[in-house]
Amino acid sequence: MMDESNPYLPYEVEIKETWYETPGERAIKTFKVDFVDSSVWDTWSHKPGQCAMVGRLGVGESMFCISSSPTEEGYLRFSVMKMGKVTRALHQLEVGDTMTVRGPLGNWFPVNEWEGKRIVTIGGGIGQAPLRPVINYVRANRAKYEDLTVLYGSRTSADLCFQEELECLISEEETTCHLSVDVEEESWEHYVGFVPNLLMDVSPSPENAIAVTCGPPVMIKFVTQNLVKLGFEPEQIYTTLENRMKCGIGKCGRCNVGHLYVCKHGPVFSYAQIKDIPEAFA
Amino acid sequence: MADYVFQKEKIEELLGGMAKNYEVHAPLLNAGIVRFGKVEEGGPALAKLDDYSNSSVPPKELLFPQTETLFRYRLGTGGIEPKVPDAGAKVAVFGIRPCDAQAFAIVDKLFGWDYPDPYFQNRRKSTVLIGLACSSPCSTCFCTSLGGGPTNDEYLDVAMYDLGNEIYLKTVTEKGDELCKSISDLLEEASPSHLEACQNQSKEAASKIRRSIDTNGIPEKLPALYDNPFWEQFSDRCLGCGICTYLCPTCHCFDIQDEVEVFDGRRARMWDTCMFEEYTRHASGHNPRPTRKERTRNRVSHKYSYFPTNFGVIACVGCGRCIKYCPVNIDIIDILEKSIAVEVKEAG
Amino acid sequence: MVDQGELRQKAKEVISREDVRRLIGWKRGTYGFEAAPAVIKDPSEADELVFDPTCVQNPASFVTLEEKPPLPRGVEPDLRKVGVFAKGCDSRALIQQMVEQAYERDHIVVIGIPCRGVIDHRKAEKLFGDVTPDLVEISGDKVVIEIGGEKREVAREDVLMAKCLRCRYPNPLISDVLVGGEVEKFADDDFSDVDEFEKKSPAEKWEFWEKEFSKCIRCYSCRNVCPMCYCPECVVTRLKPQWTRRSVDLSENTSYHIERSWHLAGRCIECMECERVCPMDIPIMTLNRKLTRDVKELFSYEPGTDVEASPLLTSYNPQDPEEYIM
Repeated sequence: MMDESNPYLPYEVEIKETWYETPGERAIKTFKVDFVDSSVWDTWSHKPGQCAMVGRLGVGESMFCISSSPTEEGYLRFSVMKMGKVTRALHQLEVGDTMTVRGPLGNWFPVNEWEGKRIVTIGGGIGQAPLRPVINYVRANRAKYEDLTVLYGSRTSADLCFQEELECLISEEETTCHLSVDVEEESWEHYVGFVPNLLMDVSPSPENAIAVTCGPPVMIKFVTQNLVKLGFEPEQIYTTLENRMKCGIGKCGRCNVGHLYVCKHGPVFSYAQIKDIPEAFA
Repeated sequence: MADYVFQKEKIEELLGGMAKNYEVHAPLLNAGIVRFGKVEEGGPALAKLDDYSNSSVPPKELLFPQTETLFRYRLGTGGIEPKVPDAGAKVAVFGIRPCDAQAFAIVDKLFGWDYPDPYFQNRRKSTVLIGLACSSPCSTCFCTSLGGGPTNDEYLDVAMYDLGNEIYLKTVTEKGDELCKSISDLLEEASPSHLEACQNQSKEAASKIRRSIDTNGIPEKLPALYDNPFWEQFSDRCLGCGICTYLCPTCHCFDIQDEVEVFDGRRARMWDTCMFEEYTRHASGHNPRPTRKERTRNRVSHKYSYFPTNFGVIACVGCGRCIKYCPVNIDIIDILEKSIAVEVKEAG
Repeated sequence: MVDQGELRQKAKEVISREDVRRLIGWKRGTYGFEAAPAVIKDPSEADELVFDPTCVQNPASFVTLEEKPPLPRGVEPDLRKVGVFAKGCDSRALIQQMVEQAYERDHIVVIGIPCRGVIDHRKAEKLFGDVTPDLVEISGDKVVIEIGGEKREVAREDVLMAKCLRCRYPNPLISDVLVGGEVEKFADDDFSDVDEFEKKSPAEKWEFWEKEFSKCIRCYSCRNVCPMCYCPECVVTRLKPQWTRRSVDLSENTSYHIERSWHLAGRCIECMECERVCPMDIPIMTLNRKLTRDVKELFSYEPGTDVEASPLLTSYNPQDPEEYIM
């Protein structure tokens, strides 16, 4: 757990493994890190969907979802898209370098309440990162859940994150996995089109189901609309929001959507909570 | 609790006595403006109590400085050295106005929820508030609309009333009692006539407040105006500067930045404002509040709707600084009055 | 005294034009010695417009302040003109904005308004207290202020802004529509204020600015109100790369103020808005005035007086004096 006496102090972590998920100007790089002070593990516990401020001393920190499931032990995973000042500095780091982690922050997907239900995840691009711990948590506790359906799309096949794991998901029997790319490309065997359309194509049943979606704001908007069309109640739809953040503990002010602080009340929200707060979709 | 008086001309002596046991902060005259600061020999002079209505920068800067080091570090070698203020220090804030003290009670809630903020809270614990009742409020004051008043002592440790040649002093809390006892040799006993003079002053001061707003229904109304063009009549002339928020005693938003000199670095926080474009701008360039319309809406809604929804109290004390210092006359009372008048169509 | 009826009629005509989408002027403020800037979009709103010596703000600032967020796909931007009221000093800001190609001449419709001076709220409050006047007008060389039914006459220098006491351009230098008759110029500018300041020794100057800059809270009101500060991203608040830190201390504040004034060299049109809006009473114009005089003496250049001129720093002349190069 975070240092209760001073929530601004980060832990130092060492990079144990790192690789690129996707190439390009906005490349996504994954880091597997371990605490420099291994006693932190004694008090650390996080839940799927929670976040942490990840940073570099001398540069600053930004909020990222912890993309490893608590069932993956001995390391934390973060997937970072190269975008601004902090993420550029993080991308320069290699195995053996240290970075800082402050967390876990925010709320989580209520995976315990979802036991006995069918789980549908709908992700787009880097939005798959917060869904990964949900997927892996369900897979690690497979007997407690009904079907697991993973829908995931990105602009091109090169932009799909966690590719090795996707192959697993496709091949394993207990999981149904549907992939999509926005535009036709050679030797692509899966769906071609936007994620909201993939959702309609698959048309998962709302019966005893929970849908979890994350991706670009416009995708979330249309996926949510389509889920409602498919008969999902607002209470059955979950998403995670993101905004610029600094403190991560509901004080610095900037991440609010209406009266809700994304860092504190979120980042996980049910559609029922935010459907009447237009700023959540701004 | 006890009451005392002292001769106004002996104010420096009194502060000197206080300084034996406390670090004393008071309104100082600094290159033409009144601002709270540490009373020091050779430093800026004390502002004359009858000369100032209130400091331009609220004394929130004493508990929540504009720039504050969170921790220091040395690059390469690791190791983080926190810079948390000592909760056991003794700090006296002399001459704070009732509205600014009330503001502390409001931001207490935010700095205390979930992960308590040790920087703010330690300073808060170590601070004794010796308030000064207002005898001549500004034309922009509206504290009486927000549960306060020019002579409200509810949020003070010691309340002072300026009775002309004398200052009447009343302890409100144990902390205040302790402070007064520490300077009791400089204080005289008060008489019933002093108390009477104070009560008269209270009545008179309250009657001098010229502006007011009925806040009933506003927290519920504002969210309904989210998409309303109503905001443009104010945001069209907004400069997008930080005056209204930086000078607000309840505005508490901040940025966190790393600053490095060769290898020595610090992580510091500094006041930030929802009125700046970059405040909410994502690294991708997307901005959920792209114009001053959304930012004006957020400022007002945060104070009068979001904060009360989260904490049960409006984040405004009616000090009037945002009105007084706004260079383009964006007047929060005007906004609130007009917000009540706007008719909202039922969503259908 | 400007006829308010004529002013509103002309404003109504401008905002009624199909090719005009908004009009910037002034309306009554809610309190105190200053009017409020008004941005109107409909002829019905023209009746709230006013002009008198409380109309201090420079409407040119609001031409460049308008934000243009990305439009949803398929929505065409509204490229119609902006109407703008302009006193003499305000018109210089409009001219300088056009000299710098912030926009074209046909982007704006200028309603010129000859001006005899505007109120300095600091002077007025010192004289009259924290009150709201019923009426403020200039009559000859006096300013008449009515408060609570009582009329008082004071000298111009006691309540008008310093810029008005040395105003060479009381009449708008450009206008498409003129309200009221032209007035005579009041004075010449002898830069005696700069002379006075320059009497200080370098050490005294440094001490002076240390005191002033240490008060700065970096609210950026001086930058934001400046009609010449219209960069989409200011060098001072830029994060990548970061030239000036966000921490507020004497060093960063000094850096900010020096950057700000240097970026205005040859561009400042002396509307004094920066100094007027400063909540910390920093005499910002003292810096600008020094640069204004240097630019005038060294290059015979006066910004914002000629639409056809080139910006000072983009025009090179082999005969340019080099005293200015350190």
